[in-house]
Amino acid sequence: MRAVGFAVVTAFALSLLPLHAAAQTRGASTIPDITGSWERYGARGGAGAQRDATMPPPAPQPPLKPEYLKEWQTKLQAAREADAKGTPLATNATLCLPEGMPAMMGATFPMEILQSRGQVTVIEEAFTQVRRIFLDQPQKAIEDVEPGFYGYSVGRWEGDTLVVDTVGIKESVRYQNVPHSDKVRIKERIHLVAGNILWDEITIEDPLTLEKPWAFTFAYRRNPDYKLLEYICEDNREYADEGGLQKIRIGPR
Amino acid sequence: MNSILRPVVGGVVLVLLVTGSALAHHSFAMFDHTRTLTLKGAVTKFQWTNPHAYIELDVTDAKGAVTHYSIECTSINMMQRAGWRSNMIKSGDKVKAIVAPLINGEPAGLLLELTLPDGKVLEPGVPGANTYKRTPEQE
Repeated sequence: MRAVGFAVVTAFALSLLPLHAAAQTRGASTIPDITGSWERYGARGGAGAQRDATMPPPAPQPPLKPEYLKEWQTKLQAAREADAKGTPLATNATLCLPEGMPAMMGATFPMEILQSRGQVTVIEEAFTQVRRIFLDQPQKAIEDVEPGFYGYSVGRWEGDTLVVDTVGIKESVRYQNVPHSDKVRIKERIHLVAGNILWDEITIEDPLTLEKPWAFTFAYRRNPDYKLLEYICEDNREYADEGGLQKIRIGPR
Repeated sequence: MNSILRPVVGGVVLVLLVTGSALAHHSFAMFDHTRTLTLKGAVTKFQWTNPHAYIELDVTDAKGAVTHYSIECTSINMMQRAGWRSNMIKSGDKVKAIVAPLINGEPAGLLLELTLPDGKVLEPGVPGANTYKRTPEQE
């Protein structure tokens, strides 16, 4: 376990590096260097003794309007009951579909950020998900964006914070199975809170389904030595049967 | 545990701490959390694919009858981070697998622990692996 101890000490020491050590100056503003590999950090909301200021608070429940809250809770309960019976319900994951926005920013597997001229690109290892954030461009009207898994994202640097606006998320692409309409908008504020800890503060707005914006934060720790692996959903033996239950094919093809 | 492998697996524990919970959207509820099977047999195929790797195993009982099991592992990405390689297991290898069996009784299970022919023990990093109740091995 010596390796783990070393890794923990190293990670802690790196997280104390001053912000300017990882920053580049462009014109009057200071744009941080966030290019590289990241892994999810503090996913349990910093509960317990390990809590520190770089760990975001746990996500609140989605402030859904009553009719949508009821639908969401009913489905949640059905999924729990199906799990308890050992007959889980099929999900997008069963079907080998990528998570889309904003779930991909949850970084199930490590994630890579690339900063290039006019664009920030985020690659999530799981399902090789890619999203492009176009810098300093006007956002499109929602009706001009074909609904998709990642939507259409534009961003700009406000000082050291990348402010991103995303529209055009397919209604079937849900985070934690929370329903949304075609009017959903995802706002993000991406910034370093320590030299090697990055936060993505996400606010979801939906005039149809939400009482008020739903805000939560994903945090990541820089993992400079990690090289993302390929991920192809090549042979998914799990499938949804006619009743919507998750089944598994026995034996190779 | 093999001393060469230990640092690799140790490093992976950290990765699982931060990424394991995120896999919760994938349900393992079809597998029995209350008992395990210890399967000793010969590998007929080691399928190195996403979203899961599979070990196909022929298990011969005392009377000589062969039962074929399909054993689900985790994502090969997680397995690589835990020190697994695609060439570690070959057809014909005699291995021991501790699995959480399918609840519906079909001959398949979720791999919790694998012992290779050279005695090396590998885990595929199933989220919450320690919550599966282990059944003592029957000789």
